[in-house]
Amino acid sequence: MASCDDLYEEAARAHGSALDRLARAYEADPEARRDLLQEIHLALWRSFESFDARCSLRTWVYRVAHNVAASHVARDRRAKAQQLVSIDTVEVSDSKGDAESAVSRQIALQRLFELIYELKPIDRQVLLLFLEGFDAAGISDVTGVSAGNVATKIHRIKNVLTRRFETGGHHG
Amino acid sequence: MGDELSDSKVEALWQGQPTEPPHISPEDLRRKMDRFERRIYWRNVREYVAGAFVVAAFGYYEWRFPTVLMRIGSGLMILGTLYVMYELHRRASARTAPAELGMSTCLDFHRRELERQRDALRSVWTWYLLPFVPGMIVFLAGMAWIVLKANPAVMLRALIGLGVMGIVVAAVFFAVWKLNRWTANKLQSRIDALNALTRDTD
Repeated sequence: MASCDDLYEEAARAHGSALDRLARAYEADPEARRDLLQEIHLALWRSFESFDARCSLRTWVYRVAHNVAASHVARDRRAKAQQLVSIDTVEVSDSKGDAESAVSRQIALQRLFELIYELKPIDRQVLLLFLEGFDAAGISDVTGVSAGNVATKIHRIKNVLTRRFETGGHHG
Repeated sequence: MGDELSDSKVEALWQGQPTEPPHISPEDLRRKMDRFERRIYWRNVREYVAGAFVVAAFGYYEWRFPTVLMRIGSGLMILGTLYVMYELHRRASARTAPAELGMSTCLDFHRRELERQRDALRSVWTWYLLPFVPGMIVFLAGMAWIVLKANPAVMLRALIGLGVMGIVVAAVFFAVWKLNRWTANKLQSRIDALNALTRDTD
């Protein structure tokens, strides 16, 4: 059985960049984001005392990170003041910029962050896992949302993303 | 759908953004943990010292009240305040165990947080409002006693005054209780919505 330190180092090596992206998705302020990221790493390291391999290391890492980040958002007064929405009610129109500007990676990424910051915790978690390349079963393992509901949410996410990132052509 | 951003493109966009993962060694984490625990320890010490100071200050003034009933009432209010402070401290410092973070799915974790908040609001009557009631009643009785002793002829007016004061206090308590119950019900709706996500409807 690997030690806490070994598990932590393996997790940081394999998922360090993903954890950095995750922190960006929960905290826009750079300084607060650095604190959040350190909090995630600390929680991860401490959590490995209880890691019993009943789920994969990846699932464990993402659960810890998302749970710490969601608590951070819940504590944050600015985030509390913001009205978070469900992926089912999020605005799908692409009125935030013209079609040409959407080809810019930077603007596309900015739009993606705008969508992420709008979402309620569970929907944000599903979207982030989807962006990290998790399949529906993997998302269900981390979030606890049933496979059917994950599929519905992913369908909706794809619809919203498609509409927000349209680069031209005809839309229904 | 050739004009849409495909799954792989949006994933590449997300995963391709520049990142700066911190390089934190387990030794650094151990040091951070020690610093964090020392901070918590000194914060607790500061809170206890401040609490002791408040009790001493209130205790001093308590002996300046003119009647035994008012002193007892004031003493009960101090005890009530201490109890509420203890409850607030206990609830605020109920930290999540590290294991819980990895063993719980996001949904379970979120639901437990909401349940904790809901239960705190539902029981607010017993731990936040009720502790002040005995002290308040005894203190008001002490005030009534002074008024009656000074001028028995104004008994009716004194009783009406106290009655009005009692009604105002009761109305504030009722409003707090009602507001908390309303917020707890809203939390319950959010918990129900989370529960629905764990089940497939087909």
